[in-house]
Amino acid sequence: MKVSKEWLNEWIQIDVPIDELAERITRGGIEVDDVIDYTAEVKHLVVGYVESVEQHPEADRLRICQVDTGDETNQIICGAPNVEADSYVVVCKVGGRLPGGIKIKRAKLRGEVSEGMICSLEELGIPEDYVPQEYQNGIFMFPEEKTAGSNALEALLLDDQVMEFDLTPNRKDALSMAGAAYEARALFGGEVALPEHEVAEKGTDGNGTLEIKNEDATAVPYYGARVVENVKVAPAPAWMQLRLIKAGIRPINNVVDISNYVLLEFGQPLHMFDRDHIGSARIVTRYAEENETMTTLDGRERHLESQDIVITNGREPIALAGVMGGEFSEVTDETTNVVIESAVFNPVSIRRTSSRLNLRSEASTRFEKGVSHEFVLKALDRAALLLEQYAGGTVSTPVISDGALELEDTTIDISEQFINAHLGMSLTTEEIQESLSKLGLKATAKGEGLEVSIPSRRDDLKIKEDITEEVARIYGYDALPSSLPEYTKITPGRLTDEQSKVRIIRHQLESLGLSQSINYALTSRRKAAQFSGPEDALELLMPMSEDHAVLRKSMIPHLVDNVVYNRNRQQKDVQFYEIGKIFISNGPAVLPDEEEMLAGILTGDMNRTDWLGTKVPADFYAAKGIVESIFEKLGLEDDVRYAQTARFDELHPGRSADVLLDNEIIGFIGELHPKYAQQNDLDRTAVFEINLDRLLAVKQGNIVYEQLSRYPSITRDIALVVDESVAADTLVRIIETAARKYLVDVFVFDVYEGGNMEAGRKSVALRLTYLNKENTLTDEEIEKLHAPVLEALEESGAQIR
Amino acid sequence: MDTAGILEVRQSFDDAISDVDNLNALQQLKVEYLGKKGKVTGLMKEMKNLSNEERPEYGAKVNEVRTHITEAIERRGEVLEEAALEEKLREETIDVTLPGRTFSLGSPHPLSRTIEDIEDFFLRLGYEIAEGYEVETDYYNFEALNLPKSHPARDMQDTFYISEETLLRTHTSPVQARTMESRKGRGPVKIICPGKVYRRDSDDATHSHQFTQIEGLVVDRNIRMSDLKGTLELFAKEIFGAEREIRLRPSYFPFTEPSVEVDISCFKCKGAGCNVCKGTGWIEILGAGMVHPNVLEMAGFDPDEYSGFAFGMGPDRIAMLKYGIEDIRHFYTNDLRFINQFKATEDGGATNESI
Repeated sequence: MKVSKEWLNEWIQIDVPIDELAERITRGGIEVDDVIDYTAEVKHLVVGYVESVEQHPEADRLRICQVDTGDETNQIICGAPNVEADSYVVVCKVGGRLPGGIKIKRAKLRGEVSEGMICSLEELGIPEDYVPQEYQNGIFMFPEEKTAGSNALEALLLDDQVMEFDLTPNRKDALSMAGAAYEARALFGGEVALPEHEVAEKGTDGNGTLEIKNEDATAVPYYGARVVENVKVAPAPAWMQLRLIKAGIRPINNVVDISNYVLLEFGQPLHMFDRDHIGSARIVTRYAEENETMTTLDGRERHLESQDIVITNGREPIALAGVMGGEFSEVTDETTNVVIESAVFNPVSIRRTSSRLNLRSEASTRFEKGVSHEFVLKALDRAALLLEQYAGGTVSTPVISDGALELEDTTIDISEQFINAHLGMSLTTEEIQESLSKLGLKATAKGEGLEVSIPSRRDDLKIKEDITEEVARIYGYDALPSSLPEYTKITPGRLTDEQSKVRIIRHQLESLGLSQSINYALTSRRKAAQFSGPEDALELLMPMSEDHAVLRKSMIPHLVDNVVYNRNRQQKDVQFYEIGKIFISNGPAVLPDEEEMLAGILTGDMNRTDWLGTKVPADFYAAKGIVESIFEKLGLEDDVRYAQTARFDELHPGRSADVLLDNEIIGFIGELHPKYAQQNDLDRTAVFEINLDRLLAVKQGNIVYEQLSRYPSITRDIALVVDESVAADTLVRIIETAARKYLVDVFVFDVYEGGNMEAGRKSVALRLTYLNKENTLTDEEIEKLHAPVLEALEESGAQIR
Repeated sequence: MDTAGILEVRQSFDDAISDVDNLNALQQLKVEYLGKKGKVTGLMKEMKNLSNEERPEYGAKVNEVRTHITEAIERRGEVLEEAALEEKLREETIDVTLPGRTFSLGSPHPLSRTIEDIEDFFLRLGYEIAEGYEVETDYYNFEALNLPKSHPARDMQDTFYISEETLLRTHTSPVQARTMESRKGRGPVKIICPGKVYRRDSDDATHSHQFTQIEGLVVDRNIRMSDLKGTLELFAKEIFGAEREIRLRPSYFPFTEPSVEVDISCFKCKGAGCNVCKGTGWIEILGAGMVHPNVLEMAGFDPDEYSGFAFGMGPDRIAMLKYGIEDIRHFYTNDLRFINQFKATEDGGATNESI
């Protein structure tokens, strides 16, 4: 809503500069987004009377105009095709300025002197969209007589600043000049003067010319109309046109303009029908029938649904209620008799219809928020009066209507205690009453409390808390004291175990050289299928792009994108981790399983020290080492196993492992498949993705301390030759199973293939540590323990060296 | 008594040791004089040729030489060891200005840092951190927050729908509703809910279809709007610096009544007006209000007994303001040149001004 200060002053006199006005309104709860100052950058603008227009002898497109600018007559060369003699125009005199830093100087155009410039509205800073059609591509001419030499900004009502209200959805009351005036009154005091709207009916065509019937009172609770005869369609007066322009509405003609002007005044949308083209003497409102069609005034055929409200002539629709008029009943240049509609429509229906047909207008936005009943008839009368005054019409009938308006104030009971308890303030009843009375809300004592009367223009106020808010915002939040809650019970604030562990994991990964990445959860269908099972991804109903059409099922594809992005920017060594959710669909109608994942990607080298020539290659084992360090921190290292996998086409089948926690797959580690890496222009790159929810679900409790053993441990090394397909883990498990007791550790310390090894065989060296915590192990005891281990290994086919 | 032999040994030793320039030669010299077959031992062997009267004096003189030689060897040994060590140190000297062995350090994401700072502040005030679903039902995202299907305020948020009843949450507020429900109408509830949210926006420098939000909720008996103001005042000072002030401006959210926008005094210009605050001296940082009675009631709290406040803020916006980040898309591009700038620790600064 754009509110002109000059127009607002006609409703209520506010004598403060625009900046202060805008600031107070903003602080009162309506954000003034912008102030358009039409006087900025403008100098020496006067009304000129064009005495004569002659063709420029040297230029087809230029005219030589003699213009009376008050004290003198100036010769002005004008390029506009529509300039006419005997017209009043806007002249920027020599020495003057126009928006955009244009300075007007005495000039010679093709040999002819030009002293000043005849201006178009665009040149005065008005967006082209709002300029009336007849003045587009040309200069503006006043539709009425003016005084040559007078201040043109004043004559145009552009000696003005316009505030742009950014209204929150609850403040529909401020979608009108009336609402802006009441808001200003609440903030500055004074009285609101409504514009003249008394109308005398003097037509000959009395009662019975038009019959109105609302078939469904929930669709149309009230429909009122007046008939105005003998109107003459012409341009509206300049002041009305300019006020519309300043409000962001393009003037069309006096009848349409009056309808828009009154909409801006009272927030009540009106519709004007051509009386002679309605096609009957009846107006019947109803819900549309399923599959009913009509042609709206934009010439488009509309397919209606049963929740759309239509205005009909008893047979067929003449308007789509609150949204758009019908084609054959619209006002044209030939219209002489007009029916003004002022009605109340079901807000939800209007909202559905306008959003379904994508027809949002000044009217529909007001209807869908609900109009103020108290202004329905005032607006109707006001429009009738303006048609008399500015379109030569005669109001021929009283108001013809069906349905009822709710003009009684509603009431809300509230108490001083309630308001103070909610705000933490100590306002007196008088202070509360005063704040409310500034808003025009009468609060009278009732029992212990107050009864607040709510006029229909503020029917957004429904509950006690609404009144509390009105009191607080008018009294001012600066007066609100600061306190801290006094809880009924003190509870400590703490992270859950899971939240603490996530923080620890993050910090550990960062210490290991991985930076944190945050990617979009939405991805393309193609990427959603990668590093993931065959299940369908969850799709958006209306995606904005193919790249963000479905929810991710793995975090790896976007991490690959991150690496590619950074590699393209001269970063060789890129290591990222991400903690986030993946989404496993249970069908679109129910919530998916959201799984928190820990994922990482490593490419290039890690811990690279170039001058020493040392580095850690970012390969499978680097990824595994990082993952193992997390398991170690979480105390899970003994519960996790790894198994070769070829689950995903995007991973190297020989260099990928499933990660199993208590024998259940919770993720994977792997190097990218060379083909996939190549498609992404990457070298060796390792990734991992682990289900964090599963990791965090394991509870560890406290650390169990063990006293240090006083006895030494004994190590035994075993060197084996096995088939190269035998996994190290298999050998470790054979040893762990065969060792009866005292085996505390076993690990692989050497693996050797090739060289003098037989083809297809490899040498594996393991170190076993035995410890008896209660006694020193003798050689004989060790031998007894160790012999079965060697036997088991030999039985498995290993050759002991 | 002939002591010439003793003097001769001493003289020859003194001559020899002055030529010794390494520990090996010193060891040889030691053997030559003090060894079992050494010269000093040889002198002692002469004793048997002496009379009983002469022996003590002779013995004393030999011992004197032995002491002299032993001490001289020790002294010489120390000097030579010292020299050898010096040489070793000289050889082992390195260029300490060369870089150390790399132990790469990754960087936290700036949004994580920002969120963690805010979480820590509220944890200290006794709040818990509640988390929720990113795919939500229409009920929890809208209806339970006093936004029925026909509510015009649904226009405020463009929603990614998955089906008519499921959607990507447009705010973290559904966590409020779910947490309150789980408390079965019993307070106090003190939570903050950080998380990712989604809006149907085209990505540009100031809009992102995915961003983060932190919502706060306090519900108990006798919670007042002044408690909201006091809490947020403390928050502003803690996160944005001790000199910050806040101001409340009336606003509208369907789930709170009264509703306010909260501005903090500009941390860059201290309120004088600059490009960060667009010349106003104030920066809009939060939306807040008293929990709407309908929201309390739908979540099982009796609005006649309980009241509460809620607030919501955007870590993306806060981080952009705090660090002067010009484009929200940086947060989701994961350019290492961007992320690595947020590696170092931060503290209150010399004047205890966090910004």
